[in-house]
Amino acid sequence: MSSTASAFHTTASSLTSRQRVELALAHEEADRVPLDLGGGLVTGMHVSSVYKLRQALGLDSPGTPVKVVEPYQMLGEIGPDLMDALGVDVVGVGRPTNAYGFRNDGWKPWSAFGGVPLLVPGEFPIDPEPNGEILMYPCADRSAPPCARMPKAGFYFDAIVRQDPIDDEHLDVADNLEEFGPTSDEAIDHIRAEVERVLPTGRAILGDFGGTGFGDIAFVPGPTLRHPKGIRDLEQWYMSYVTRPQYIYDVFDRQCEIGIANLARIHAAIGDAITAVFVTGTDFGAQHAPLISPKTYRTLFKPFHVRVNEWIHANTGWKTFIHSCGSIWRLLDDIVGAGFDALNPVQTSAAEMDPVRLKQTYGDRISFWGGGIDTQRALPFGTPEEIRAMVHERMRIFGRGGGFVFNTIHNVQAGVPVENLLALYGAVDEFRPYPIAGGS
Amino acid sequence: MGTLEQLRDAIVEGQAADAVAEMKRGLDEDIPVQTLLDDGLMVAMHRVGQLFEEGEIYVPEMLVSSHAMTAALEVLRPSIVEQGVRSSGRVAIGTVKGDLHDIGKNLVAMMLQGSGFEIDDLGADVYPERFVQAIRDGAEVIGMSALLTTTMTNMREVVEAIGDAGLRDRVAIVVGGAPITQVYADEIGADGYARDASKAVRLVQEVLGRLKATDGRGATTH
Repeated sequence: MSSTASAFHTTASSLTSRQRVELALAHEEADRVPLDLGGGLVTGMHVSSVYKLRQALGLDSPGTPVKVVEPYQMLGEIGPDLMDALGVDVVGVGRPTNAYGFRNDGWKPWSAFGGVPLLVPGEFPIDPEPNGEILMYPCADRSAPPCARMPKAGFYFDAIVRQDPIDDEHLDVADNLEEFGPTSDEAIDHIRAEVERVLPTGRAILGDFGGTGFGDIAFVPGPTLRHPKGIRDLEQWYMSYVTRPQYIYDVFDRQCEIGIANLARIHAAIGDAITAVFVTGTDFGAQHAPLISPKTYRTLFKPFHVRVNEWIHANTGWKTFIHSCGSIWRLLDDIVGAGFDALNPVQTSAAEMDPVRLKQTYGDRISFWGGGIDTQRALPFGTPEEIRAMVHERMRIFGRGGGFVFNTIHNVQAGVPVENLLALYGAVDEFRPYPIAGGS
Repeated sequence: MGTLEQLRDAIVEGQAADAVAEMKRGLDEDIPVQTLLDDGLMVAMHRVGQLFEEGEIYVPEMLVSSHAMTAALEVLRPSIVEQGVRSSGRVAIGTVKGDLHDIGKNLVAMMLQGSGFEIDDLGADVYPERFVQAIRDGAEVIGMSALLTTTMTNMREVVEAIGDAGLRDRVAIVVGGAPITQVYADEIGADGYARDASKAVRLVQEVLGRLKATDGRGATTH
């Protein structure tokens, strides 16, 4: 490791990362604010940015490829050396297959995003179509219609909607449940092995086992399915909240049963070894308002969030984690009331999401796992000084009294200047020790 | 309750089948096409936009209303063509290069359609030259959408391509999407920014009004 890398994370501590995160989620001040980067699929960094950061920290010689550990959003691996360099406290553990249903193994080299050297899973399609786009196939099965595409000028994949004509007379909830089944023994063995691998490091584990995200629009199109049935078109799905609420309720109801049964089996295998579990990543907010009404949240989503949270709290020592982008202030009474322990990504750049008001109103009941830096403007387009100031401000606002895990607002995207990344993690290192320095 | 009122209610309530039935009834009753458009669809969509801005309805309800309006408009379309009813203007709209997110763009397109505009929907991942072509095909307004910080920068390329083609005076350019702000719109030389589909309609009416007032179309050379 280079001397540059050790410039960050210099404070010695008697606490493990796991203890640090647990204290934060118990609304207590630890020795410093815990840091997440890459613990979840919405708390990571685009592989091209990981490459730049690793190079700048002197962790790799030029041209050393970075692994794409999440092909959907093209997230880069946050390896132990990078975690040590930045002082990252959280590691993610999930299922053995990715968002497209194949395993992240059999690594092969690829180059993309202007010549960034990458390693991608063996099943990852690297040959572009004549128009330059890359097509992804469900479970890497090329006999099925493609399920996602990355445009030539794009930085990650988006779903290809495969929607048969919807026949309202014959809608069957089973059609929208095909992707939700019992977690396989193989997957449980994988989860157990991963947990056992991470535990001795003392890092906190964020489990992401899938299955309890109701209506997550990233997965509604059924990216792992060869021939998805039911309602798979995004607009149709959103409209169904109004036009087919009973169908949606019935899908969620059954999904909830399956999801809780899977959590029970996973808990039987790993016990309380994980600190928190990723329950849902469904986005309820747009930039300027919630996507759905408080009434829709209350009638279609909250009952199932309550059920999952109550089961987890009654049967495990896990904390529960919800991710929702956007402006969700108007929904927060209900979301917090549903019993979640941690909220992510706390999109303070969206309407009505004022950090001070969020902390004052909900800070005693929910922890903020995010909100650390605005990734829409400050991080990609701001100056290092602006970034430092915002990190300090967020440490003061969210950090005091605990209840804060520092994380960028959603994944760090491609195209962020490396000096801004260095400014970000330099400022995190500077301002994370408790007591947080500076005025209120 | 009169046909027009029932047509409007069906759209606001998002009842597509009722909206279609009321539109057919309106035609049977010989209500003028322009009246069905102006006092039916446009008033209804204006109301939908208001309800959205007031936080009374959200994206799902707005989509449902927009689809009901579109279904009713399809019934009316043959008569519009037959009678040569003039549109409020022609808008080419698309999500920019590298970006596949189109729900917001589609909503804006439907709201504009419900306000009497003719829409040339260019789809998603639209390259600058395609926007330029749309102007040559008659678009008076270009609408660009982006969800991502990594793709919003491609909006500038479109503005530049339109300038390079010598078409800038002939068209109004409006932008929108999650990371877009008025500051960014000004920075890249767009004529306006709207934060949602309802405001987008007013913006397009406004910029088109300005464009026509300055007689921009006549100033363009080929």
